[in-house]
Amino acid sequence: MSETIELKSILNNDKESVNLVCYSEWIENYKKLSVQGIGVIVEPSDDVFLLKDQLSFIELIVLDFNNFDDGRGYSQAYLLSKRWRYKGEIIGINAHLDQLQFMLRSGVTRYILLDQYKGVNEEDYTNGFSICYQAAANNSGLSQKY
Amino acid sequence: MYEYNADDTQFLVERVDQFEKQLKRYLNGDLDDAKFRSLRLRNGLYMELHAHMLRVAIPYGVINSKQLRALAGVADKYDRGYGHFTTRQNIQFNWIEVAEIANLLRELSAVGLHAIQTSGKATRNITADPLSGLTEGEIEDARPYCELIRRWFNLHPEFSWLPGKFKIAVNGARLDETALRIHDLGLRLIRNDQGELGFKVFVGGGLGAAAMVGAETASFVPSEDILSYLESAMRVYNLKGRRDNQKRLRIKFLVRELGAEEFSRLVDEDWQQTKNDLELKLNFAELERLKSDFVLPIEPLNIDGFNEEIDFNFSIWKKNNVRGHKISGYSIVNVPLTKLGNAPGDVTSEQMRILADLADKYSARELRTTKRQTIVFPHVRKDQVFELWKSLDKYGLANPHQGTLAQVVACPGGDYCDLAKAVSIPIATQVQQRFDDMGKLLDIGNLNINISGCENSCAHHHIADIGLLGMQKKGEEYYQITIAGETLHETNIGKKLGPSISGTTVVDAVEKIVNVYLENRNKEEKFTEVFKRIGIKPFKERVYE
Repeated sequence: MSETIELKSILNNDKESVNLVCYSEWIENYKKLSVQGIGVIVEPSDDVFLLKDQLSFIELIVLDFNNFDDGRGYSQAYLLSKRWRYKGEIIGINAHLDQLQFMLRSGVTRYILLDQYKGVNEEDYTNGFSICYQAAANNSGLSQKY
Repeated sequence: MYEYNADDTQFLVERVDQFEKQLKRYLNGDLDDAKFRSLRLRNGLYMELHAHMLRVAIPYGVINSKQLRALAGVADKYDRGYGHFTTRQNIQFNWIEVAEIANLLRELSAVGLHAIQTSGKATRNITADPLSGLTEGEIEDARPYCELIRRWFNLHPEFSWLPGKFKIAVNGARLDETALRIHDLGLRLIRNDQGELGFKVFVGGGLGAAAMVGAETASFVPSEDILSYLESAMRVYNLKGRRDNQKRLRIKFLVRELGAEEFSRLVDEDWQQTKNDLELKLNFAELERLKSDFVLPIEPLNIDGFNEEIDFNFSIWKKNNVRGHKISGYSIVNVPLTKLGNAPGDVTSEQMRILADLADKYSARELRTTKRQTIVFPHVRKDQVFELWKSLDKYGLANPHQGTLAQVVACPGGDYCDLAKAVSIPIATQVQQRFDDMGKLLDIGNLNINISGCENSCAHHHIADIGLLGMQKKGEEYYQITIAGETLHETNIGKKLGPSISGTTVVDAVEKIVNVYLENRNKEEKFTEVFKRIGIKPFKERVYE
């Protein structure tokens, strides 16, 4: 049985519940949904470029990192966070422990781990490396030096 | 030569610590096979036919004597006393115990060596011309750029989980020893009409079952903008590359499906958003610092009047294995690692230590590795070449056949690799036995043969004069022959000669191809030149007569 999280709503930073819709539903009905304070779940195969002009109407964005080898979420996070300067939360769900450093440096602002990682010390994995050679969306790294 | 600084070393140490934790979780059952596979590959660790194989990076093919001694130590302590130099300038160890891997990597990190991203779906070790900085007419030494690109894409947050592996090569020389256009992304250093330095970019090259020559996606990217351009190319690939078909993962398939023009347009569109981002501009202060570390460790010598030793064997070896250096008074010496019955590129720990000692004595502590699985002594005084040859000869390392048919390039093949469809090493041995007459080899001249045991093409058979690809037919080993592949002056994928040929007669076919070449060759004409003039038909007719 899959342990992945399938959300209908999620708590935002202020602990208020925010209803979620999938990407395709948002694209189809965004005019109606844009006044409702809705969050959007983006899967790796979804074209995040189509959200670019609607970002100010989206309460928060949920990116799904369930597939360990599918790296599209990192580019989605980068585009949302760094290039388009999305102001809402970018929440990575179905997150894997060994990828937290990549998620956070790509622009994910908060994450929800898969159940299989319950009980582990997350900080060991979020701190990543003291040396990062490249610039990152969360302003970590040694870009000025390298 | 460049050696890792404190930050680089710290990075390596932290990477080993991280992998050690992941390994412990795997061994404790807290990390599943699939995820551990993905993580171990990113640390260069493969599961092969008999044991685990570790691929250690030799960045842009430059290694010092201390590092080579450390590799010899690894061969003795963790392997069976030997290592294998690969066609991407790295070294592999074939008998590694998983439980010992962290200690092994820790020992290597102490000398600035690592296995980071030598495998897996991320940016691999950056390769360069093994003669970077050594030859006349070079546009620019590629190595400092390779180092900056290596750093930038090591554990890059956005591009560490690409659809497929991503190989980058950089060439600053006029001839293409790196085979730029068969890489996922190739960078050719050039100067524009204003004399400014930049890169011509090729994307979508690759070998394997569908060999392709990379398309030019940018005619000139200013050097300061190269990181942003690379990021844009990788972003398009990361978002649009095929992930649904294991045989279509590489960027070459995306470029083919979109068309080179559309792919280039998408990259350019993305790049326009980032090219002015100061964070992505090349750090010229750091580049200059790196360049100072790559300054050649030798000064011009005036020794033209020295008396060269007269020795028949030495003169043959010198003709094939020694070439000119741009610094007067110096030569570049090539040491082929081919020995009958051994996998080409194999070297024992004892030989590694001998090579390291000789590098200390004759080559300013420095050695280079090449895609033809040879070792280069880059800075040998002309008046010491004979001494070096004598020393190499004493230890069985003075093979005089550099560049000839006897210097076969081959993957480990069916003897070691669990992906192989056929053996490579025994065929390489047969070729060497068939052409073991130095007079004949000298008559044939430069002619290369590469043998891959499967479609993964680790031995780069598509870009050899004569390429053999191992396959299975009704339980028997057969070989597909391709001819006239090349990269040095222009890039061409070898043409298939015809139906595959049984392993029992494939070396006969090779000899027939060589004979057609010799019969049709005008003075000094290379194999590919003859092929272009007479076409495939005469070769085909002789082999399948």
